[in-house]
Amino acid sequence: MELRTLTHGSYPRIGSTPEEQILRKTIAQLDRGEKTEADVHAAEDRVAALALAEQDAADIDVVTDGLVRWYDPVSHLAGKLAGVRIGGLLRFFDTNFYFRQPVVEGKIVRTQPLVLDEYQWAAKKAVRPVKPVLTGPYTLARLSLREPGAPSFEATVEAMADALAAEVAALAGAGARLIQIDEPALLQYPRDVRMAAEAFGRIAAYKGRAELALALYFGDAVPLYKTLLAWPADVLLLDFTYSPDLPLVVAGEACGRQIGFGLLDGRNTRLEDRTLVLRQLEAMLHKCQAPRAYLTTSCGLEYLPRDRARAKLQHLGALKREFAGGMQ
Amino acid sequence: MSRAKLQHLGIELPPLPTTSVGSFPKPDYLLKARADFAQKQIAADALHAAEQRATEFWIRKQEELGLDVLVDGEMYRGDMTAYFADNLAGFAQGGLVRSYGNRYYHKPIITGAIAWKGPIALDWWRYAQGLTRKPVKAILTGAYTMMDWSFNEFYPTRRDACLALAREIRKEVEALIQAGCKFVQLDEPAVSVRPAELPLAVEAMRLMTHDLDAYFFTHICYGDFERIYPAMLELAVDNFDLEMSNSGLDMLDLFRKNAFRKDISYGVVDVHSHVVEDSGTATQRLQQGLAVLPRENVWVDPDCGLKTRTTNEAIAKLGAVVAAAQAMR
Repeated sequence: MELRTLTHGSYPRIGSTPEEQILRKTIAQLDRGEKTEADVHAAEDRVAALALAEQDAADIDVVTDGLVRWYDPVSHLAGKLAGVRIGGLLRFFDTNFYFRQPVVEGKIVRTQPLVLDEYQWAAKKAVRPVKPVLTGPYTLARLSLREPGAPSFEATVEAMADALAAEVAALAGAGARLIQIDEPALLQYPRDVRMAAEAFGRIAAYKGRAELALALYFGDAVPLYKTLLAWPADVLLLDFTYSPDLPLVVAGEACGRQIGFGLLDGRNTRLEDRTLVLRQLEAMLHKCQAPRAYLTTSCGLEYLPRDRARAKLQHLGALKREFAGGMQ
Repeated sequence: MSRAKLQHLGIELPPLPTTSVGSFPKPDYLLKARADFAQKQIAADALHAAEQRATEFWIRKQEELGLDVLVDGEMYRGDMTAYFADNLAGFAQGGLVRSYGNRYYHKPIITGAIAWKGPIALDWWRYAQGLTRKPVKAILTGAYTMMDWSFNEFYPTRRDACLALAREIRKEVEALIQAGCKFVQLDEPAVSVRPAELPLAVEAMRLMTHDLDAYFFTHICYGDFERIYPAMLELAVDNFDLEMSNSGLDMLDLFRKNAFRKDISYGVVDVHSHVVEDSGTATQRLQQGLAVLPRENVWVDPDCGLKTRTTNEAIAKLGAVVAAAQAMR
């Protein structure tokens, strides 16, 4: 069994050094009319390059660009779709982070790439494989408002799925080998699992040679775990911080999927006890028949200050090496 | 229920009393003073003087507008969690994390046993109350929100951290009451997003308010209320201060299904919009509320703290609050 590490998704775009403050400063200067959009893009490039370098230094096998160009995980994607406008602020699940809520006005159509350019930039810059991340169709629809006369909720999920399927096809065509679809809203509304599964299936049909990861977080995955094993996901990325029972459930079920073990808390600064993590991991890997598994954080790392996010990455790298050492 | 409590506390208020949620915008001279102080260009005394001047401005303004229960406006606070964390033992200042867009804040880290070292907001309440004959409401951040909006490196569980905070925050509440404060608000905006932890929030609120002689508010905002209502009414407070207008008064549907059985501070102006509601709009919103809520239980206020508005917008929105209440009295 090979254990790889991966960055879940987001990474802090701000830190304590002047270089780490560059994006915040440039956006503020743009607001005051002192900088241009091009300056902001250049600052984003610098911050994304820093994020890639920190992941590389921490020995993370599969990296992201830190999603540093995203205003939030919802409006960054939905805002680029025809038929959707972006509205007011709303809290993102149980975090203290706010996103701009999409408002569906009419037929949803992907008229431009969503994250393809970002992926291509990062893939050129990175020395490790880059994983593009997309918020899933169910979550995008669940977090959107619908104008009177707009498509139904179910039709919105389907339309979002079709838009994301086109993006996944483009990403796979551009060389992405692992593409992540985030569906945190499903854990809040498990009754909609069939609808979400169908939407995921629509996307999976367009993955080409890429592998698809389904990421679930900010809730208890225990009630859905067995069902999820039947989804056409190559990797199942789970948040282990919401349920003390999830390790037992995973350890008790034979599994042919690659599992992404989100055992490190992406929302707390405390570093997890290494012995405990490795013990949990070994117990769960016992039932995993896939040749490979991933160790990661429970969610993206943007909820942590940068120094602590960096420490979590380093912790991940150290745990992987310790695991590999134990296997020899 | 509320009137009996108010009577017991010796407070007389008109029908549909008016108040506000807590924060007001900081005037430019105070923003400059805070920036200068951060860069060590002015001393603490000079900053304090600017904070006092701004507090007095808002007290006078609230009196002028005719609000019934005033607040100090939180001129001395940056962030509602960090301010209390900075003044309690057991916290360290964390690095910056993003709130939204290009907004960041320092999220505190619990690194040791939390302990109340002495009064935190009491002196500011005293100062503000000393400026007016109208009652001033003290605003504290509740234990559940303090826990949820901090990192925890010390306590084994969220529950342990939350209850430890509740026990220490109660000491601040006791100090306020001892000083003569009769209105205490315990802000719990985090309560609305983790329904499974509502019982913990209820337990913590009881620890903070049980058997204490004051009229208690809690402010909850920006969450999925469908998932915590009506269970949230178990929180041991007299008055729920809720944002109604930002969500198009949709909470009234919940109240139609399950009667709201406590007092409510009913938000008639949206604090996240630069558009200033005219008095007609605010009155209409209140009227819709009064069709569902018992009149004797209703207070009138803005949705949330007004600190993100300009001073003129905040004053105009407060004016609309007062006008709505007066129109419906």
